[in-house]
Amino acid sequence: MTGWPDSRSAGTYLCLMRESGRRIQSRRVEGTVVSSQVGAPGRPERMVITWGSEPNSRLEAFARMIIETPFTRRTWSELLFLLVGLPIAFLGIAFVGITMTAGVVLAITFIGFAIIALAVRGARGIGGMQRRMAGALLGDTIGEPEPFSPRPGYLGWLQSALRDRTGWKAMAYLVVKVPLAIVAFLTAVSLWWDAFACLTYPLWGSGGHRGVAPVWGAVQLLRPDYLSPDSGGGLVGFATVITGAVFFFAAPWPVRFFDFLDRLLMHALLAPDAMTVRVRTLEHARAQTVDASAATLRRIERDLHDGTQAQLVALAMRLGLAKEKLADPEHLDLDQVRDLVNHAHRGAKEAILELRDLARGIHPPALDVGLEGALATLAARSTIPAELAVHVDERPSPAIEAIAYFCVAELMANVAQHAYASRASISCAQQGRWLRLVVRDDGVGGAHAISTGSSSSGLSGLAERVQAVDGHLEVTSPPRGPTVVTVDLPLRA
Amino acid sequence: MSLRVAIAEDSAILRDGLVQLLIDRGFEVTDAVADAQALRRSVERECPDVAVVDIRMPPSFTDEGLRMAIDLRRQFKGLAILMFSQYIETRYAEELLADDAAGIGYLLKDRVADVSQFVEALTRVASGGTALDPEVVTQLMGASRHRDSISMLTARERDVLSLMAEGRTNTAIADSLCVSEGAVEKHVTNIFSKFDLPVSQSDHRRVLAVLRYLDT
Repeated sequence: MTGWPDSRSAGTYLCLMRESGRRIQSRRVEGTVVSSQVGAPGRPERMVITWGSEPNSRLEAFARMIIETPFTRRTWSELLFLLVGLPIAFLGIAFVGITMTAGVVLAITFIGFAIIALAVRGARGIGGMQRRMAGALLGDTIGEPEPFSPRPGYLGWLQSALRDRTGWKAMAYLVVKVPLAIVAFLTAVSLWWDAFACLTYPLWGSGGHRGVAPVWGAVQLLRPDYLSPDSGGGLVGFATVITGAVFFFAAPWPVRFFDFLDRLLMHALLAPDAMTVRVRTLEHARAQTVDASAATLRRIERDLHDGTQAQLVALAMRLGLAKEKLADPEHLDLDQVRDLVNHAHRGAKEAILELRDLARGIHPPALDVGLEGALATLAARSTIPAELAVHVDERPSPAIEAIAYFCVAELMANVAQHAYASRASISCAQQGRWLRLVVRDDGVGGAHAISTGSSSSGLSGLAERVQAVDGHLEVTSPPRGPTVVTVDLPLRA
Repeated sequence: MSLRVAIAEDSAILRDGLVQLLIDRGFEVTDAVADAQALRRSVERECPDVAVVDIRMPPSFTDEGLRMAIDLRRQFKGLAILMFSQYIETRYAEELLADDAAGIGYLLKDRVADVSQFVEALTRVASGGTALDPEVVTQLMGASRHRDSISMLTARERDVLSLMAEGRTNTAIADSLCVSEGAVEKHVTNIFSKFDLPVSQSDHRRVLAVLRYLDT
């Protein structure tokens, strides 16, 4: 079949996935076309087909999930995590118990504190091990807490270790983990063992003892009649195998539940707390801001050096030449002098223009009057007809006004360059303590905040700039548009 | 025979202006290029007498002009170099003058506005002299550890010192300050004795002597 299939047509299709012309994958896909979209004209790379086979009913989907779950890799790594959890819990509680007891008993002497400090450090280590295991087996990446950075000297180390919140929290985790690990381990082992024992019932024992499968745990508790050796007959075997199957398909779910509880616990006690995360975000934002302002200064210097400065030197040189020619009336060639002065005049005008653009790029003078006026200038200068709506009661701080202005300027430049739009709209509205900017266009869409190519690197730069003041930038830009970029900025930075 | 000049300057406006100026003043411009590698090729091909080199050029916009100039000096013994920059960095001057001051110049781009002085400096460099921007001397004096001996100089001696460090001859200094050559010679002798330096005969040797003194 060639061309693009219509929506909802079922069949088997050969799917070729290309990236910049190179074939990266090809496979046969069976299913129903949910939707197919061809990108805007002139952008053939943006062909999107969403594949999927729609299940007939929810029941079918549920049944499929139940049947498939025991055979997924996830189920078995979850079980492994749970099983390994018990020895780790015992190791942890033994370590904490011994060291803390020794530490408290010896606390009258100095050595006691050292032992407690060691206990805290050790708990941190075991916690880290647990965290890494969760990452590897459960695919749950729990944030690394701050690394232990002791102050210099032996006493400094001791003090830092004793005050290490992360270590104490890890110790609390190790304590709470014990009952959870025991219950989880017993449940999981009994369920899986029963499933295994019942499924293999026909192979157990022989003669009079046939039928006494070594079942315990849940099956033992329920004790259905057909499992007792008295109820003879072939039906017994069959019923037992069915029971095993039920257990087999049910067993993954309690395991998943206990792992979920453990994950909650890890997120609460082994992950960095909200404050640390906040500090890290701020540190990142600060680094970005510092880098960005250094880069801006460098760009301004480069622009001045390559543009205006060179322009003025050339201008001075021509005027100097003309001046010296005029000082020598005997060999005066007026045409030559006129040419020099003309050149110099043109250079001066170009230098003025360059300086004005540069100055506006540093701080748009229109901003002194207010954001509304500055945005009006932007909208008026736009090559694409743009509507502007501003509802701001309270003036944001100058830094926020500047960021808002440059956001809109950059977004409008993007619209002009990449969107192939016929209309655009800018709205700027105060919402409580926030300023919401929305730039919308009716262009081809397909813009992304995460930079993949040169065209979108401007957007990711903007996002960083906005994040530096705790703002937020969101892009919705489906193929064929429209593109809507929403920027939320706090009124005060 | 006219002097043959190669120009390496990445700003097109300035490059064109320089070419126009030098041709107007009777120089022969062998080549006007925009980066250091092109300058090397041009010098190898055309063997100019002097190269006017911008310090900051593509690709890295730091000091590739200077690196290339130092390289070319080692390779082509007779080649004079006039560095041409929008900033004066004392470090660059030191590197440039590390071996010898003969046929070396380092000027601010602004100096081109005084056409005659610029042409004079270029000619001096091409004929084995030295031309340092007054700014180099000012910076060196400002940072020098010999503040005491500098403060011992009279105002006139200081003027002479600056002009001497720029690489001018006694005659030129005398012209510039409107005094007799004998008076200049006396000032020079005073300066060297206050700095406790032996008097050098050749102009570029005494430039080096003075600069080394100020720089230590």
